[in-house]
Amino acid sequence: MAARPADGDDRRGIERELKRGSLELIVLHLLSLGEAYGYEIVTALTERTNGSLEVTDGTLYPVLYRLERAGFVAVRWETPQRGVPRKYYRLTKPGQAELAQLTREWNTFASAMSSLLRQQPERT
Amino acid sequence: MSADYEYIERVIDQLPREATLRAQVAMELRSHIAERLEHGNSVEEALQQLGDPVVLAESYLAAIPLIPASFGRRAVARILDALGVVAVCAPIVWLIAIKTEFFFVILTIGVLLSAAALYPLLAEYFFGTTIGKRAMGLRVVRESGARITFGQSVVRQLPVFLEVFWIDVLFALFTEKHQRAFEILSKTRVVTAMENES
Repeated sequence: MAARPADGDDRRGIERELKRGSLELIVLHLLSLGEAYGYEIVTALTERTNGSLEVTDGTLYPVLYRLERAGFVAVRWETPQRGVPRKYYRLTKPGQAELAQLTREWNTFASAMSSLLRQQPERT
Repeated sequence: MSADYEYIERVIDQLPREATLRAQVAMELRSHIAERLEHGNSVEEALQQLGDPVVLAESYLAAIPLIPASFGRRAVARILDALGVVAVCAPIVWLIAIKTEFFFVILTIGVLLSAAALYPLLAEYFFGTTIGKRAMGLRVVRESGARITFGQSVVRQLPVFLEVFWIDVLFALFTEKHQRAFEILSKTRVVTAMENES
């Protein structure tokens, strides 16, 4: 069977996979800028990347839960003057170490990829 | 029931029947939805942001590692369950034996044995564990970590009813995740309880 060129759905799928793999790094980085609650993280991501990186709540919250269980973020609940209780997330010491590690890995990967993609076909 | 509560119920329904995990996820989702509403989104928009409830539940569950239960712990859990059956049944049989005729004793033993065979099926479906498994810190889950369905619970117990239990058990000695053949078939696993994670 001939390979089918990636249609719209497949393309979005690839983008989703890329995003999923880097989401922990994204969240850890955003939290290194200061404590935040879920909605803030979602909107900060959109704003800081001019909308080119956008996640839904349903993608973000399980990632936060995973980071919480792994001990990379600490949480506290706070009830504002009026309104519902909010869950605030902040980076822990192990979280900072994880962020540094993931950042290094990302940079290595990204520079390897870009140097690979810069290579021109050899002339014969 | 309003749409958001219904949504949360559908997410919670997929999770193992552990009160703390369910309460935690429910509280979190209520807070996130309320936050969206405060920022001018409608309930529909808030729920759309969260996506399919089953997918969301499985994403949450992906954060919880599933550690296969060792063969030894499973064997002890089985023995405990069997002892429990004997402890419950022996007095009943004894009582019947001194009060009535031999025929009723046989009948009672038959009924109790069927009940004993049905116990794990019902307990694993309703509670995600049996008394013996609970004592050994074990629970039964789907491969995604979600709670098992009734059908899966039935398939898990089929070898008992088909009388191939001992052959089925041997599989657990050799398979990667210590699964019995009928566990692989039903796509279920026996893993350590959440509080026993290292």
